[in-house]
Amino acid sequence: MKFKPFWRRKWSLLGMSLFLFLAACSGGQSSQGSEPAAAAESEASSGPVKVVWWHSMSGELGKTVDSLVKQFNDSQKDVQVEAVYQGEYDEGLNKFKAAMGSGSGPTMMQTYEVGSRFMIDSQAVTPMQQFIDADKFDVSQLEENILSYYTFDNKLYSMPFNTSNPILYYNKDAFKAAGLDPENPPTTYADVEKAAKALTKDGQSGGSFPIYGWLMEQLLANQDVELLNNSNGRSGLATESMLNSDAAVNTLTWWKKMVDDGVMLNLGRKTDDTKKAFAAGQIAMTMDSTASLRGIVSSAEGKFEVGTAPIPKPSADYKGKGGVIVGGASLWIMNDKPEAEQQAAWKFIKFLTEPSTQAYWNVNTGYFPITKKAYDEDLIKENMKKYPQFETAVNQLHNTKIDPATQGAVMGIFPEARQLTETAMEEAINGSKSPKQALDDAAAQITQKLQDYNDSIAQ
Amino acid sequence: MDKSSAVPVKSGIQHTRSAVRLPRRARRWHEYVLAMMFLAPSILLFGIFLFYPLIKSVYLSVHSTTPRGEVAKFIGLRNFEKLFDSGHFLNSLWVTFEFMLFTVPTSIVLALILAAICRTHLRGTKLFRFIFSLPLAISVSTGSVIWMVLFHPTLGTLNYLLQAAGLPAVQWLTDPNWALISISIMTVWMNLGFLFILLLGGMEGVPEDIYESAKMDGAGPMRTFVQLTLPLISPTIFFASVTSMIGAFQSFGQIHILTKGGPMNSTNVLVYNLYQDAFVNFRFGSGSAQALVLFVLILILTIIQFKFGEKKVHYQ
Repeated sequence: MKFKPFWRRKWSLLGMSLFLFLAACSGGQSSQGSEPAAAAESEASSGPVKVVWWHSMSGELGKTVDSLVKQFNDSQKDVQVEAVYQGEYDEGLNKFKAAMGSGSGPTMMQTYEVGSRFMIDSQAVTPMQQFIDADKFDVSQLEENILSYYTFDNKLYSMPFNTSNPILYYNKDAFKAAGLDPENPPTTYADVEKAAKALTKDGQSGGSFPIYGWLMEQLLANQDVELLNNSNGRSGLATESMLNSDAAVNTLTWWKKMVDDGVMLNLGRKTDDTKKAFAAGQIAMTMDSTASLRGIVSSAEGKFEVGTAPIPKPSADYKGKGGVIVGGASLWIMNDKPEAEQQAAWKFIKFLTEPSTQAYWNVNTGYFPITKKAYDEDLIKENMKKYPQFETAVNQLHNTKIDPATQGAVMGIFPEARQLTETAMEEAINGSKSPKQALDDAAAQITQKLQDYNDSIAQ
Repeated sequence: MDKSSAVPVKSGIQHTRSAVRLPRRARRWHEYVLAMMFLAPSILLFGIFLFYPLIKSVYLSVHSTTPRGEVAKFIGLRNFEKLFDSGHFLNSLWVTFEFMLFTVPTSIVLALILAAICRTHLRGTKLFRFIFSLPLAISVSTGSVIWMVLFHPTLGTLNYLLQAAGLPAVQWLTDPNWALISISIMTVWMNLGFLFILLLGGMEGVPEDIYESAKMDGAGPMRTFVQLTLPLISPTIFFASVTSMIGAFQSFGQIHILTKGGPMNSTNVLVYNLYQDAFVNFRFGSGSAQALVLFVLILILTIIQFKFGEKKVHYQ
């Protein structure tokens, strides 16, 4: 008699947990299935449409994202955006890959620029152009350079959101102390080398560039050199890596020589390490994304004055050639979500491209505005006056000549190619291979992976 | 509860057994079902988290996958052939082997020394026991972040101390000759807490009277340790060596956080290479093939340890 309630309770508990488990598993799907019907029948009465946005903005950037989402959610009642941080770009993309086809993915996803080809090939996205055409959205207000990166086959597949490019950061006080002109930063490889030599003294190193494949890509684009065949993979699928071009070998040789001469430090791949060393005054120059500008300027506040300059070119002959590739990330809308949800995401994206939103974003992060009109906003004007460093990135962007080299390379295996590039840079800088040999090997490997990839999507 | 409820059942069985032969089988069946019911939860969990993935790995290892990670086509043993053809995978194997060599013996010897010191019941021993077992309470990721600060090339504590002592700074994580050693140092520290507790527990299990009689026979502390303590705790040491070896093979967190396999793949151990291939580049076929190679390697090493190591183990 005593046992009965015990068993009953146990079974009911078990039953309930099973039910909860099943409910949790099917939760995503059932809501997904029922929502389009509900949205189609009575859009007004069904309450706000929920949009889940996966992003990769952490720290200060993440806080700014959250405040933008809050501004949007508070401004209207139809759409509620939920921003979810999914780790770095790589991790976010991996989670997205894992969620593909399961219905548990987001409505909207932020993916870094080099993931673009993969996103298109995945056939999991609705091209942004569809929403633009249907809504007669005026894209001419957006920066041409940025649009050109994300335009494939004359279609805009995703909406640029946060865009950056690399700039040279230098310590103005250290320049003064070394007898260099702080208002005249180095612009060529030879200048950088000379400055690094002069700056290396008393425990301070001339500088340090993180071993980051992106910087290599940018330095090449800055010489108007393409990374892949078929016009950087833009006139057709790329089948061959041109990472071992003379320009690349020269650039890596220059980089390596400064490390060998002891006027530049090799602090590894982490941009965080070089940034910290720069803020601590241990290195006088570094290359980093403009997205770090805000952080670098505030961490150096009270210690020294930060100068910014465009990234260097091999020699003065390259003046007016090439430029920087638009780095950063863009927003993608997933095609496995109901129409109403996709439209809601589009609404939010439109909010993000508004001049005032972009101005707020620029001032708080250092990513530059994607809308030209943002420069008319008072917020930006005041900020530029206070921190003239913000102008460098914008000028560098506007001085860029648009062609396949500066539009940037496109390949489905970009993240992996970048890793291989970084390994080659390490091999050259550590002296285990000559720059030419290291880049030859990396190019051969990337070519092999490109062909494997092309085979696998052809099936 | 057992006694009172078992009696009527037993009498019932005896009663039926006398009637026909079949119920004996029924009883066996009954026992079998009962055993299965007790085993069911673990079989279920093992099935979901171990056996199913294992079978799936075998399946994936003979297929190629699309960039979305879907199975594309059957390619037989091509994945394995490719692995052993590429210097990349062989490098990973070698790095893994080195990593095991750097970490396992060092951790065990250090833990043994610390445990031997802490076995004494002097004042303050408890405090040291607490300190030495602390790494156990720290997760790999937290530990890695702590060591990241220590290893920082320009602002790190370790380089600060080196320079204070007049020695040149070491590029702990960015010099390919140092990176694996640095990761090993960190891993030894991580392992120490668990091994320390394990070995200390083993030593505490040795009866005090054995030591006393050894003392009376005039054995010094060194001799007692080598000839008495070590043989008596050999089962614990054996267990420690098997588990730390497997642990070394499976190390991932510290490498992911500290070096990401670099520089120049000098810390690209098998598990990390596997992770990269499967979950970053979405080549599940190649990743699964590597997982199976890893499985076979651990299996072989464990068998060798049991075959040769266990002979030297002295069970009381």
